[in-house]
Amino acid sequence: MIISSDVEVAVAEPDEARPRRGWVRGLLVPKVFFGLVIVGFFILLAIFGPMLLHADPGAVTSARLQPPSLKHLLGTTQQGQDVLAQVVDGARISMEVGFGAGILTTLWSILVGLTAGYLSGTSSELLSMFSNVFLVIPSLPLVVILAAYLPNSGSTGIIIVITVTGWAWGARVLRAQTLSLRRRDFVEAARATGENTVKIMFYDILPNEVAIITATFLGSVVGAILTEASIAFLGLSNVTQWSWGTMLYWAQVSGAELSRAWWWFVPPGLCIALVGTGLAFINFGLDDVINPRLRAGATRRQRFVRARSLAASAVRLGRPMHAVAAAPAASPATATAGLAEPARPDGPGSRVLEISRLRIEYGATAPVRAVNDVSLTLHRGEVLGIAGESGSGKSTLARAVTRLLRPPGMIVSGEMIYTNRSGRELDIAALADAQLRKFRWEEISIVFQSAMNALNPILTLGAQIDDVLKAHRPAMRKVQRAKRVRELLELVGISPDRAGAYPHELSGGMRQRAMIAMGLALDPEIIVMDEPTTALDVVIQRQVIDTIMGLRDRLGFAVIFITHDLSLLLELSDTIAIMYAGRIVELAASDQFYEHPLHPYSQGLLGSFPTLSGPKRTLTGVPGYPPDMRKLAAGCSFRPRCPHAFGRCEEAVPALLGQAAPAAAGQRSEPEPEVACFLYQAGDASPEGAVAGGGRA
Amino acid sequence: MRTVLRRLFFYAVTAWAAITLNFILPRLMPGNPAQDLIERFAGKLSPAAIKAIRVLFGQPHTSLLAQYITYWHNVITFNFGISYTYYPTPVVQVIRQSIFWTLILIGFCTVIGFVLGTALGMIVGWRRGNWRDALVPITTFLSSLPYFWFALMVILIFAVTLQWFPSSGGYGVGLQIGFSWSFLSSALYYGTLPALTIVVASVGGWLLGMRNMMITTLNEEYVSLAEAKGLSRLRVMFTYAGRNAVLPSVAGFAMSLGFVVGGAIVTEIVFNYPGIGTVLFQAAEGQDYPLLEAIFLTITIAVLIANLLADLAYIALDPRTREG
Repeated sequence: MIISSDVEVAVAEPDEARPRRGWVRGLLVPKVFFGLVIVGFFILLAIFGPMLLHADPGAVTSARLQPPSLKHLLGTTQQGQDVLAQVVDGARISMEVGFGAGILTTLWSILVGLTAGYLSGTSSELLSMFSNVFLVIPSLPLVVILAAYLPNSGSTGIIIVITVTGWAWGARVLRAQTLSLRRRDFVEAARATGENTVKIMFYDILPNEVAIITATFLGSVVGAILTEASIAFLGLSNVTQWSWGTMLYWAQVSGAELSRAWWWFVPPGLCIALVGTGLAFINFGLDDVINPRLRAGATRRQRFVRARSLAASAVRLGRPMHAVAAAPAASPATATAGLAEPARPDGPGSRVLEISRLRIEYGATAPVRAVNDVSLTLHRGEVLGIAGESGSGKSTLARAVTRLLRPPGMIVSGEMIYTNRSGRELDIAALADAQLRKFRWEEISIVFQSAMNALNPILTLGAQIDDVLKAHRPAMRKVQRAKRVRELLELVGISPDRAGAYPHELSGGMRQRAMIAMGLALDPEIIVMDEPTTALDVVIQRQVIDTIMGLRDRLGFAVIFITHDLSLLLELSDTIAIMYAGRIVELAASDQFYEHPLHPYSQGLLGSFPTLSGPKRTLTGVPGYPPDMRKLAAGCSFRPRCPHAFGRCEEAVPALLGQAAPAAAGQRSEPEPEVACFLYQAGDASPEGAVAGGGRA
Repeated sequence: MRTVLRRLFFYAVTAWAAITLNFILPRLMPGNPAQDLIERFAGKLSPAAIKAIRVLFGQPHTSLLAQYITYWHNVITFNFGISYTYYPTPVVQVIRQSIFWTLILIGFCTVIGFVLGTALGMIVGWRRGNWRDALVPITTFLSSLPYFWFALMVILIFAVTLQWFPSSGGYGVGLQIGFSWSFLSSALYYGTLPALTIVVASVGGWLLGMRNMMITTLNEEYVSLAEAKGLSRLRVMFTYAGRNAVLPSVAGFAMSLGFVVGGAIVTEIVFNYPGIGTVLFQAAEGQDYPLLEAIFLTITIAVLIANLLADLAYIALDPRTREG
């Protein structure tokens, strides 16, 4: 049944968050519109057709089996009856049975589904068992038997038979949805206030199931029309009453297909299929609105990559270093900062990743710029922490570095130059598919926030590590791979005999460590960690962090650590980048940042949590709310929340520029911090005292 | 193991429910089917046959419980009485002759339809925004067509117009049923068009379901991670996206199977195929209740067994179901 799987999808995505006007918009979706036009046409045909046509569908004439002509637009039957008249007249019974049975079936499904879902205990179990039993009993033989016992009972009898045999699917889906809604806060709240059960069911729960009820209804109508046709085709309904099904019955009985009288049976079949398609399209369209993932997205990403690959060959051997720095000098500090470049490209502290002027947008029409003009340098073995509120673009950046951005997100401009151990450079953004596959995991691996979602639920841990080795080390034998898997698990403190375990059999912390083990499988140069500990409790978080840092010290990979937890970053990173509204607003060595945060936003962030050690201070926090990325303020995006904003902030976007650190002035052991704030940039007068006031209280 | 036992229990309950429904229906229905039948046979019945009919369709002057117990006895001993349509052949024999054809045709075509539809759905869902999306409205339309209409068209085109295949029957006239080359090849030849009809008509539903699940699954983090791992495209598509996306299809097999079997049975009628569908049609036309009921039970039990197999496959595919 075509409708079934869509309902399944809809169940997975309850529509509670969707605004109500979504329904109005839903009607304007092309699919829904197309479906409504088709179904509307047939409803009108059923109501007004027979009146307009003035032809008796049963009138026998001598014009037997005539092909379509002007006199008989759709030809005639063996008795010389007009096919068009029969199709038009038949629309009545077919639509009547279809919608009648659809409505009754849906009502019965709602009653059973809602009750079974809302009640608990034995009665609920019994009801759901009851509907499951009806679900697996094949309906057609049952329909045939029922119809055989009720011969010539007209369309009412058929509607009842279809309802009796067709309600179970809807009931099951609605029960599942009710079960999930029952545990929601608003239902719990209604129950706590002592509202009566019936009222909760029909006022609080039912309105939230409108989408699924609609899908059930549309599916039932299609099913009912098809079932009616089958019953009629088998000669079990009143065959002297015209419907699309009885037309097919007479055509088959008279051997129309053998006498090539296609005009007799093609039209009724097409009508059934068209109504079915129309209803299915309404369903698909509504489903698209409810579950936006199903909407087709243009694959802009690939087009961009292809263009890039054509423009510049992806792999550039011995590309001179200064070419990167020569990029429009928004941040001259980036080029000069960092430790003096060592002679050996694989030495510790040498450059491993250079992101320059990266720009990422979401959506083609009115794009949102999620990452804007970001330039960063990562050195071998360095831990670079990126912090920011949700929506600041930090996760988008992580996805970009690993080339995992999905449409509608795409890299609009910029470079991500990766330097491997032999000094070879490649632009990650421009890698073609095959190169990208080889590059991935070998050079950069990634650890996601939720290991539960990031591990394939149907493969064992061992198999998921093993397939990395299989893909990248084809020469490795099975035994060697198994040995490596055990080795990796041991490395992160998981007993090697857990290799055969499935993700759901592990605890949260174990899953996260397993992800890290997987990330290390090929000894990559860089591991991107996208909020790897956010989903864990504090104790487990500590274990995981210790594992990561211990391994970093032993294996020397570089880490890009992304989190909103600034205190955690301060502890483990060498360098910290603060992102706000898609831009890096401050980039500094970790301890320097802690001592002297420069950007007002950084100051606010540091002021929003207490330190365990160190002097007591007042918690200040950042006033206001995270920005709406669709309508950013002109000039500096932080201006609306900035306590030090002044005239110039509104006029231009401050660039990220190097700044002699107050404390570290003179001793050049550490790179100078960079900040994107006019408070520190000479030009017109900046209000005196603001800088001092921004220092740590 | 506990999951398997639970499923077994569920199917046992369902089988019981179906058999009991079969007992209740003729007694609930208006009129007196038992008396009707006996009158229709009009003196042709032996006293034993009359007794069998009464047991199945209602005995006057006997308590319902006693009737129910005798009914069960008859079901277990496959004593469904004598067919009116195929008089005087016993019902069991009529079914035994036809069920084999149906099992092979529908069993085979259902599996082919499922595999083909799922594979196509996986490919269509994998990359969107190109010509493959055009398949969606086409398959929607195809899956809205009644099976029997499709069968009529197939006959018109391939049997009547092109004359490539015979339009009806299960094997050539005059052939002896058995394991001979001439019979098997003839059965294959006659079975092509019905098989084609069932496969093509059922493929669309599986395709659309799989496509949607595939699109949902592609957004999962584990698919992103598989990509980030640099696995080959086929590995990501099959082992990461496909194997997870197919689970709801397998779980929903029960609902869809009833639909496909229903459609396939009607298809048999159009092709006058010697299977159980054609017998059902004859039985319905002649209001041959003993045969109708026995067919209902047979098909139901067959579908239940198929569902049990699908459930076992699901348990094998999804490790999360294996415990508790």
